[in-house]
Amino acid sequence: MTDHQAQRRAVLTGIGVVAPNGVGTDDFWKAVREGASVLGPIAREGCGDQPLRVAGEVRGFSPQDSVEERYLVQTDRFTHFAMAAADFALADSGLDLAAMSPFAVGVVTAAGSGGGEFGQRELQQLWGHGPQYVGPYQSIAWFYAASTGQVSIRGGFKGPCGVVASDEAGGLDALAHAARTIRRGTEAAVVGAAEAPLAPYSMVCQLGYPELSRSLDPDSAYLPFSPQACGFAPAEGGAMFVVESHTAALARGAQVRAVLAGHAATFTGASRWEESRAGLAHAIRGALEEARCAPDEIDVVFADALGTPAADRAEALAIADALGEHAAHVPVTAPKAGFGRAYCGAPALDVAAAVLAMEYGVVPPTPRVTEICHELDLVTRFARTAELRTALVLSRGLMGSNAALVLRRGQGD
Amino acid sequence: MTPSLTHAELAALIKGKAGITVDPLELERPGVTFEEFGVDSLGLLGVVGELENRHGLQITSGAEMSKTPAEFLQAVNTSVKAGA
Repeated sequence: MTDHQAQRRAVLTGIGVVAPNGVGTDDFWKAVREGASVLGPIAREGCGDQPLRVAGEVRGFSPQDSVEERYLVQTDRFTHFAMAAADFALADSGLDLAAMSPFAVGVVTAAGSGGGEFGQRELQQLWGHGPQYVGPYQSIAWFYAASTGQVSIRGGFKGPCGVVASDEAGGLDALAHAARTIRRGTEAAVVGAAEAPLAPYSMVCQLGYPELSRSLDPDSAYLPFSPQACGFAPAEGGAMFVVESHTAALARGAQVRAVLAGHAATFTGASRWEESRAGLAHAIRGALEEARCAPDEIDVVFADALGTPAADRAEALAIADALGEHAAHVPVTAPKAGFGRAYCGAPALDVAAAVLAMEYGVVPPTPRVTEICHELDLVTRFARTAELRTALVLSRGLMGSNAALVLRRGQGD
Repeated sequence: MTPSLTHAELAALIKGKAGITVDPLELERPGVTFEEFGVDSLGLLGVVGELENRHGLQITSGAEMSKTPAEFLQAVNTSVKAGA
């Protein structure tokens, strides 16, 4: 790594979480650490009679208290989540935005489904009343790029902005994109992913996914890596972060919460889980290489944990392929089993959990899972205390994207 | 005969369609622009659509590009009268 690259190494200085198991990092971490499960029947209006019953719904969130009225009218719930999470992350970072040029801050988000609830409302106007009853904000609110645009408008951030459309793994790819933005000279980036797929139209769109759990029982709907694995429970919410150059963060005395050390992504085709083994292993190797990290330096793996036998097997084998002997000893966990997969928001929440795990020296458990049928040291039942310097976060999307991110602990090196 | 759109009605429409609270008296201030309130052309397009649906009329194309309330009210009220 050249001096210039070292100076412009991207670090996380702010974390903001809006998740089914907690709004704000404190509540989120408490639930993750305890292995609490908040999966339950979907209570949102119009969702009760669909063959998808169990999900992770964000309940402790009031859009009215979190975003201004204009954004309530002009944007969808997924953007409300992103705005609230961005506010948390910015506050956590301690960035003095007033003293910064508006061109010094960029925004990067990833989203898989966009503003489905907003879109449904307007499409109902279209078919129920006619095209002249469709509101103009439909043109932007349901677009998957809306959160980047609206977060930048709301914050006055005029630096480089981007949207990553790469399936669920986009939640990790967005962080890599932000790291490149920092390397090219932007001072800070607000980055992450949040989704709101629990509305009738959005849910119908998911019913075609064979990996979706149709279970009616919250206790057994999402049990990755277990003999009872029957698919995944979806979730809403996500996480946003503030990313800066290491030098700038240290210069202003910010707490460096983690270093974005390495990332790589691959593509192996929709629902081709067997092939995802090679793709995910390749992504892990690429991320380790960029991070200059030996396999045995990985202290914890936050697994993708899709929750179907084929996908779980492929992931366990990918970890073994990429980490070699170390795969048998490294603790693996999937906190999302307790609150569901929030599509692009899922790996973003895993990154938040991984950073917190390193800070507290605790591997959180995989909620509700008791039996494991793969060769993994899956942490179940209770959190495990461990010295964690380096974490590996994995993500795969239903459409075939695979990504790996290596995080190093922020303090102490 | 359709009555002319007033500042108070415009403020209410902006609130409903763009989610932005504007004091009707502020809309009357000479030289005031929509930009000062953060009302963009999409917001005004929503107001135009609502007025058209409410009155069953076609409002002059381009009214949503008005920079000031005065300009907008003139464009709207001319259209309303023409169609009445």
